[in-house]
Amino acid sequence: MPRGQFPDWLRKRLQIQIHMEKYKVTFYPDNKTVEVEKGKTILSAAISTGVYINSSCGGDGVCGRCKVILRSGQVISQPAGRITLEERKRGVYLACLATIHSDLEVEVPAESRIDLEKLSPQDLDLRLKGIYSDSEDVESAVSVLGEEIFVHSPLATKLYLELPLPDLEDKISDLERLYRQIRRIQDIPIMQTGLANIRRLGELFRSADWKITVTLGKRNGTTEIVLVEPGDTSHKNFGLCFDIGTTTIAGQLVDLNSKRVLGTKATYNKQASFGSDIITRIIYAQEQDGLEKLHHAVIDGMNQMIQELIQEHKIDLNDVNCILCAGNTTMVHLLLRVEPTYIRRAPYVPTANFVPTIRAAEAGIKINPRGLLSCVPGVSSYVGGDVSAGVLSCGLSDLEDLGILIDIGTNGEIVLGNRDFLISASASAGPAFEGSGVSCGMRASRGAIQRLKITPGDFKVSYNTIGETKPLGICGCGYIDIIAQMLRVGLLDKNGKINLIKHPRIRDSADGREFIVAFKNECAISADIVISEDDIENIKRSKAAIYSAASSLVKHMNLDFAEIKKIFIAGGFGSYLDIDNAINIGLLPDLERSRFIFVGNSSLAGARQILLSYEAMKKADEIARKITYFELSVEPGYMDEYIAALFFPHTDLNRFPSIKI
Amino acid sequence: MAVELMLEKWPGKVGELTLGATEQEGGSRSGVIKLGGQTTLPFLFPEGKIPYKPRLAFEIWDIAPLDWPQDLSQVYAHVFADPYLWAEKCVREYKAEILCIKLQGAHPDFGNKTPEQEAELIRGLLKRVDLPLVILGCGDRDKDNLVLPACSEAAKGERCLVGSAAQDNYKTLTAAVLADGHNIIAESPIDINIAKQLNILISDSGLPLERIVINPTIGALGYGLEYAYSIMERARLSALSGDKMVALPFICLVGQEAWRAKEARVGSQETSIIWEALTATALIQAGADLLVMRHPQAVEKVSNYIDNLWG
Repeated sequence: MPRGQFPDWLRKRLQIQIHMEKYKVTFYPDNKTVEVEKGKTILSAAISTGVYINSSCGGDGVCGRCKVILRSGQVISQPAGRITLEERKRGVYLACLATIHSDLEVEVPAESRIDLEKLSPQDLDLRLKGIYSDSEDVESAVSVLGEEIFVHSPLATKLYLELPLPDLEDKISDLERLYRQIRRIQDIPIMQTGLANIRRLGELFRSADWKITVTLGKRNGTTEIVLVEPGDTSHKNFGLCFDIGTTTIAGQLVDLNSKRVLGTKATYNKQASFGSDIITRIIYAQEQDGLEKLHHAVIDGMNQMIQELIQEHKIDLNDVNCILCAGNTTMVHLLLRVEPTYIRRAPYVPTANFVPTIRAAEAGIKINPRGLLSCVPGVSSYVGGDVSAGVLSCGLSDLEDLGILIDIGTNGEIVLGNRDFLISASASAGPAFEGSGVSCGMRASRGAIQRLKITPGDFKVSYNTIGETKPLGICGCGYIDIIAQMLRVGLLDKNGKINLIKHPRIRDSADGREFIVAFKNECAISADIVISEDDIENIKRSKAAIYSAASSLVKHMNLDFAEIKKIFIAGGFGSYLDIDNAINIGLLPDLERSRFIFVGNSSLAGARQILLSYEAMKKADEIARKITYFELSVEPGYMDEYIAALFFPHTDLNRFPSIKI
Repeated sequence: MAVELMLEKWPGKVGELTLGATEQEGGSRSGVIKLGGQTTLPFLFPEGKIPYKPRLAFEIWDIAPLDWPQDLSQVYAHVFADPYLWAEKCVREYKAEILCIKLQGAHPDFGNKTPEQEAELIRGLLKRVDLPLVILGCGDRDKDNLVLPACSEAAKGERCLVGSAAQDNYKTLTAAVLADGHNIIAESPIDINIAKQLNILISDSGLPLERIVINPTIGALGYGLEYAYSIMERARLSALSGDKMVALPFICLVGQEAWRAKEARVGSQETSIIWEALTATALIQAGADLLVMRHPQAVEKVSNYIDNLWG
């Protein structure tokens, strides 16, 4: 019998025994009851029931914000300086330090509850109106390379261990015993453990009968023992990856053991109420409480999305151990509540491009309080980790031939290169392709018109919505189709103005002339879905910014689009993109259609790869160091390129030889 | 040793445009004037064909121009009240070849004349003088969209040059000009791309390219002349390189810009005249085909300059 291992029959019996050692914990005033294993903390029990207790320090017993009152039952708690003698007499404990040793009745006082819960449902409704919209299910991001390329080694791993009992022969300490057992399974030379965990070990090992699950986190080159739990929870190990965009936040819940994506959601970034572009937000951050508000706007959105994801998939928040974020540099600063001011001041230096792995709780993200948060490394102030993640997921940095990644977002990011070099540029494209700033725009979610055809002559419209439901609005790829079709059938001039044609679908409104895409009787909303001349102007500016950034970058490298063999198109504007139509409106260069690869939200796909593999993280790190940045704003030819691109498809028609409009 | 000139051979050619229609062509002008047709840069005769000289047009108004400086207005003060007399003065005294009538009086802030009144004026003018006519609107977009079609109709068949069409307002004027057989001025704000875009839009609406003249928008000497110069030069180089969409003649509103210059308003009379003349000659070097001017002495100087270079 190998040391420390039991025969199966005994193990099963012992597990049954462990399962039997469960206690009921009831929280008041919520009156919620949960059954948990002996030895868990009150905080962890609270998280399992969905009772939200403050925990700024992530369960280290330092901040003293998780005070609860024990009404009945037995707990074992380490002493904490945060509790006064008077409080101790009243039965106040820190939820993160008190472990459960009998059925309990616990009262959670109002001051220990997290802020979001303090809002009344009415307040919440109000906050969630308009841009404060609920998150919606969206298509999962595809990964071009497939998930198999990187070795499976997620940011947080769980190991179930049955530690050999100490005796007079084998009397190394509890912590060393833990290390020794871990090293029998994995070759991890350097390990760290926080004091808070060490304090728990002695009691926890013995009450759990030496059967524990340890969560190991990859933290800045070393491996940390993030969490030690009683019993076997190793089959429940979940993580989240996020793409934090200026306009849209997309998140995904991943089973870290099976690598399976359980759910994908997207929501508008609530920061939009403080300005639609990053510069306005950076300026806003300097106002009183500005940084705080921006920070909360983003974490509120993320926390809410996490809540929805774990509830829908019936997952205990305690089992969500890590989160990986890709975002542009400003978004990452705001997520971490780091002053973004210097990003917009010459010489445009961010506070950090390579952010160390921290506790998610430090950033205000509610997962397991000891869970980790990591950000994909960025390149510069205006090319962030979302780009590194995108490059990683489409494999641009390994190509032999030239490739280009075009990310169609509010900040349109372009990366040109191959395995020898990578150069990036960023264009302020605006949020139109993400469905913001256009009259009937919406995210690429259920009910969005995403494909459309107009028949010439009678202008009959046939369309297709995501989820095949009645239409609610138009998403980015829907707009691309509509404009391309309107140009084709002669409804639009090349400047984007609607021709004066007498037709029931064409009418004049306050926003200029508009074309009715869907009449209200066929819609899920009580109004016609239209595209106005202002909308077209917005889309035209967005597409011009992206095309001209790409062409300026290509020109800067003394290259020609024709030399580029692979064009990766990224962006969360739809689950499909009609390449022909995108070329017809001049968003993409006119090249052989077979060279285009639509990769969807490549940033989210890259973030997921990094979440699942430490090797991918190292690769992203390497990519971020390799990418150079080309500043378009000081490039004299860029403005000229931009104005030339403000036309359908382009002022220089020779660049679009295959288009006959 | 003889110096051998390096000659450039351009593949492109500037479009040729005809201004005015004679009786045989259904109009009533005594002759026609042609613009454009170059296959090389200005005055580089050994390199290519330059079939027509740059032309000068006299600018007249339908109302008395109150803001013209003294040095300028004293020349025309006695005919300000009567556009017909003003036109005849230019023809008789200064041997004008082309007249440019600016319908400033239609502007809501400067008289607010009706489309009918302006159409009547054009009809009368065509009877009193037999030169090719350039008709300029007042600059108020909505009003011009009413006045210019009326004037276009009044001058039907005379092959006038009517303007200006802009990127966000070209459809009405293009339709009128197309119907009545005129040429159009396509105005862009010192931007080669917008100039080209507007030409594409107008030709997409059915008006052939050889009936479009580019107004690139200019600045006077000391007031951004070099910006206009470089835009015109770039456009002409593209044209000669084969880009048909910018291969069109230029019209430059020289008088309007030069007489806004501080030097022209407060300087000596000689300075003012030279200011207008120098602005014009510089633009001719950039490729201007038709220059709308104000002071007869400036016109005379520029005219001599052209003749001297034409050799």
